[in-house]
Amino acid sequence: MQLRYVFSELRTGLRRNLTMHLAVILTLFVSLTLAGCGILLQRQADKTSETLGSELQILVNLCTVDDPSGAPQCAGGEVTDQQRERIEEEIEASPEVASYEYQTKEEGYEKAQEILPEEVFEGSDPVVTVDDWPSAYWVTLEQPDEADGVISAVEGLDGVSSIKDQREALGQIFGIMTALKYGSWIGSGFLLLAALLLVANTIRLAAMARRREIGIMRLVGASTLYIALPFLLEALVTAIVGVALASGALAAFQYFAIETGMAEVVTFLPWIDWSDYLQAIFGLVPPGIALLGPALTVIPTLLLTRKYIKV
Amino acid sequence: MIRFEKVTKKYPGPGNPALDQVTLDIDKGEFVYLVGTSGSGKSTALRLVLRELRPTAGRVYVAGKEINRMAGWKVPRLRRQVGTVFQDFRLLPNKTVAENVAFALQVIGKSKREITRTVPATLEMVGLKDKSERMPDELSGGEQQRVAVARAFVNRPMILIADEPTGNLDPSTSVGIMKLLEEINETGTTVVMATHDHGIVDQFRKRVIELEHGRVVRDEAAGSYGFQH
Repeated sequence: MQLRYVFSELRTGLRRNLTMHLAVILTLFVSLTLAGCGILLQRQADKTSETLGSELQILVNLCTVDDPSGAPQCAGGEVTDQQRERIEEEIEASPEVASYEYQTKEEGYEKAQEILPEEVFEGSDPVVTVDDWPSAYWVTLEQPDEADGVISAVEGLDGVSSIKDQREALGQIFGIMTALKYGSWIGSGFLLLAALLLVANTIRLAAMARRREIGIMRLVGASTLYIALPFLLEALVTAIVGVALASGALAAFQYFAIETGMAEVVTFLPWIDWSDYLQAIFGLVPPGIALLGPALTVIPTLLLTRKYIKV
Repeated sequence: MIRFEKVTKKYPGPGNPALDQVTLDIDKGEFVYLVGTSGSGKSTALRLVLRELRPTAGRVYVAGKEINRMAGWKVPRLRRQVGTVFQDFRLLPNKTVAENVAFALQVIGKSKREITRTVPATLEMVGLKDKSERMPDELSGGEQQRVAVARAFVNRPMILIADEPTGNLDPSTSVGIMKLLEEINETGTTVVMATHDHGIVDQFRKRVIELEHGRVVRDEAAGSYGFQH
């Protein structure tokens, strides 16, 4: 296939509808940035609940050999299997509990490494070792505000060192994240709709401007793909520019707002990193903006060109 | 080469069909006039050959293939075998004469080498060798129609369809275009020409198929235009 015509048409097409293309690019840029922010916030929320538990969870720490709580129920040192069975029974019996999960000392230690400063794990005699770290139960509640029953049932049992209940603090954090996430997704949804309409308009204008050429191409037997190719490439170019701008904006957000911003100030939360950024750009589920952008311009172009340049 | 079998074409809405049970057969290498008043179904018949339309009933064969059942993606290949010329020339105003002719080859993916070989030869054939770098609006109507004929013929189609090719031209210019179409016909290309131009039809005697209200009312070898309008 001779593509010289296609590329010269692409050039003239981009120049002819420059203002329209700029409008498409700008709306795509802003909407994709917002969509990307939504994905990043989602990942931030996931990451937070992985290490700190969600607003539905309370953590039951079990006794260790030399338990820091000094509680009488830890007098026997490390929690025994018998004590654990008893604790498990109580948790299971509570109607407030949706599910629960046992976390070994090693698993807990690993999570701790993500949020505690590195110094405490270093050296020949580190402050925190695996042995120091308690095994625990993550208890997931039916309702975030109903935990009194299970807490009082478990609290005084032998082998229970302490109960960590961060529901309120975490609830606020998650509340903010959820609001921001849905806010960016709703905003991005409206803007993506606007981008779609702009794409549709651009194609209509371009098809009008090219109707003579298209008519002749159809008559002399150019294939539908060949006729549609300049339109598709135009759509692809605008999408690529939009995605590139949004990726840049998100990278700036990741670097300035997270890495050198929040992550330095708020250290008790595990923060998203560049792998999360890559997910927001290239991820499949939810679709990253590098998929979203081209899909949003190319698919409507395909559908509309079929309508306007039907063979 | 072209065969209609009981072809009926009815457009949406009330009214009589544009073509009503038309059966006709045009052989390879023939030159056929399609005559009839406006609305008699001439253009509909031509558009059926190009598969711009599909018949409501009946079958249309082009080059041995039943084209109304042809898959959509094969249609471009059919159209490459059928050249078309219109009353209004349909040239691209922002391209030179040579570019207009070359465009027809470019968009079906012909190589640059083939284009530089065939375009000048075709322009020479239609007598526009010296004007290949002119823009269409610098040419007379007759010359513009020659460019259109060159564009239709540059790919050496098996069939050339001309819809009122002399409709916008004065009689002497029309004769020139007609001679050109005859020349193309002599290379073996089947020519089907819908026309209102009785001077041409009477002067260049060919087979005449007359349509009236969508029916074939006359099919005559070396016929005359035959009616006044």
